[in-house]
Amino acid sequence: MSGPVVFDPMTLPSDDNVNAYTFCVELKGSQWFLQKGKMIAYYGRIEFNGIGHGRFQGLIRTSFHSPLHAADWVVAEGSGKMLLADRAFDVNSYDLDDGNLTIRSGNLLAYQPTLALKQSIVPGFLTLIGTGKFVAASNGPVVFMEPPLRVDPQALVGWADCPSPCHHYDHGYMTGVMGGLRAFTGIGGASGEEHQFEFVGAGTVLLQSSEALMAEQPTGAVPQQAGIPGAGQPGSGPRRPGQRGDFQHHFGL
Amino acid sequence: MFRLQGSKTLAVDLAGDAVKAKNGSMVAYDGRMTFKKMTGGGEGLRGMVTRRLTGEQMAVMEVTGQGTCFFADRASEISLVSLHGDKLYVEASNLLCTDSGLRTGTTFTGMRGSAAGNGLFTTTVEGTGQAAIMSDGSAVALRVSAQYPLFVDPGAYIAHQGNLQQHFQSGVNFRTLMGEGSGESFQIRFEGEGLVYVQPSERNTIGGNV
Amino acid sequence: MPFREINSKMVEATVIPGQKMFSQRGAMLAYRGEVSFTPNIQGGQGGVMSMIGRRMANEATPLMTVEGSGTVMFGHGGHHIQVINLTGDTLYVEADRLLAFDGTLQQGTMFMGSQGGVMGMVRGQVSGQGLFTTTLKGHGAVAVMAHGGVIELPIAPGREVHVDPQAYVAHHGDVTNKLSTALGWREMVGRGSGEGFQLELSGSGAVYVQASEEKL
Repeated sequence: MSGPVVFDPMTLPSDDNVNAYTFCVELKGSQWFLQKGKMIAYYGRIEFNGIGHGRFQGLIRTSFHSPLHAADWVVAEGSGKMLLADRAFDVNSYDLDDGNLTIRSGNLLAYQPTLALKQSIVPGFLTLIGTGKFVAASNGPVVFMEPPLRVDPQALVGWADCPSPCHHYDHGYMTGVMGGLRAFTGIGGASGEEHQFEFVGAGTVLLQSSEALMAEQPTGAVPQQAGIPGAGQPGSGPRRPGQRGDFQHHFGL
Repeated sequence: MFRLQGSKTLAVDLAGDAVKAKNGSMVAYDGRMTFKKMTGGGEGLRGMVTRRLTGEQMAVMEVTGQGTCFFADRASEISLVSLHGDKLYVEASNLLCTDSGLRTGTTFTGMRGSAAGNGLFTTTVEGTGQAAIMSDGSAVALRVSAQYPLFVDPGAYIAHQGNLQQHFQSGVNFRTLMGEGSGESFQIRFEGEGLVYVQPSERNTIGGNV
Repeated sequence: MPFREINSKMVEATVIPGQKMFSQRGAMLAYRGEVSFTPNIQGGQGGVMSMIGRRMANEATPLMTVEGSGTVMFGHGGHHIQVINLTGDTLYVEADRLLAFDGTLQQGTMFMGSQGGVMGMVRGQVSGQGLFTTTLKGHGAVAVMAHGGVIELPIAPGREVHVDPQAYVAHHGDVTNKLSTALGWREMVGRGSGEGFQLELSGSGAVYVQASEEKL
């Protein structure tokens, strides 16, 4: 029989995974941005402060650009090692080298202040820009894929370098005679796969291995201006044909 | 004999001996097994009773037999702990199985329990033998020594062993940009010599919010 | 071998023209190439009557036909995936645990009661998935979902395996099932409730058990 490996401050990894679900950050007088509620244990002298703390003004100016999201984040600073985890989801770190990566807001746990965090123009996503490390959670390990690729919206964790995804509707579904009928009667059923995000060009797409989404973190509202996606009333877009709901639920589909 | 089959299923080989396990956690067995509900009364029995503020709940069965019995509970990860005369403190809901060499009891834990939302009593396991504890995601075992005290979020704490003192500590202050939602967060500070087991997940807590 | 296990929660399938596959609706995570996903009104094979039969039997998990040329990644709900390769024998599995499978496999529906008698019916109620179980027969691969990963337990003559119906995932081989109960188990979990029974599997083959009593 073998028990679990025992760690102490010397044997805990520095800025690396302890196991698939736990990541250890080492602070040496440095700072990290942390989503509230994700620190499970620490050794050493580490302080946690809301980012509204006055002396972080400079830090926030350079690294935090998601104003209405601010209440969900704290700054950890000091010296020691702290363990991060998120509801037993898989956790991984990513290094950006003068790069950019856009990630679903609910998946981001922590990042180094050398990176700048900004709201993506794609609603529900955040973009990290610069050089540094960040930690993200996913439902199942993250799989990296290269375009061209079509992805179920719910399996998408994020993407790096490539241009924003566009929507793709299955041709057969759009033109199918059954299309209208299906949507209303449930007979025949929609395949559930009529709609994907399509990625083209050079870059990397990050996929999570399941379609169970993690709770989305608010990324903050965008200014109510013409030309800004999501600036209208949220969630009032036109119904997609075949969208689940309506009659289909009555048929148990 | 305890062994893990995968990380989420405990296989126990029995040759006429008995183990205590969380009620209903058997998922399969071969050979012959007898199950007995552990009801109140009697020393070792009352021990593992899960006591909660809201009442008491029997949670343990005794399994005797010849063959292999498999235990699992809601896809929790399982860690094996060997005890050699020392004492393991574990949240009742995180204890899956103990072998016949171990005695179980209940200890009053006071404040921590109320903040972690998981009862005022903690289960203790002592003697020489094997215990299987459960966690939401793989548990991490962290050593506490004189020069290295450890701070743990109450919601992530599942068990500890050794000679440890716990201090309930508040003092993490949030002042948010909005000037609202400021709150205090609680942590447990462990000092002494021993091991603390944490899980990569948090129960809903009243206090812990870092 | 049409399934490549990418990790414990994701498999990749190569789709070749002329060889179709079936998958649960909504289980596609990503694909490349020209692949079409067509909802399947017939429940795979066997015509409309079979579909109606299955729906009444509460086994009408909507399937889609996957055809074309390319690769498809499958996964669903964060569940663990077990790939089971069949070499001529029959797999018994509840339909909503099927993630994807080879189109060459012959689908059927089996009334569990026919093997287990009255006990078989109870089993259906116990696992809450109806009295019918899907069967897949032939040569090919099946990707099955389970909560928290599965263990495979061999079943051999003289070595029957008892499984908590809540944790039962699938079985294959020449196996008979019936309900039994261990001494003391019913008293413990409550008399009269279906949970007082185990599924007893005997013969030769294997049973897959998940590390959880939670249904999908």
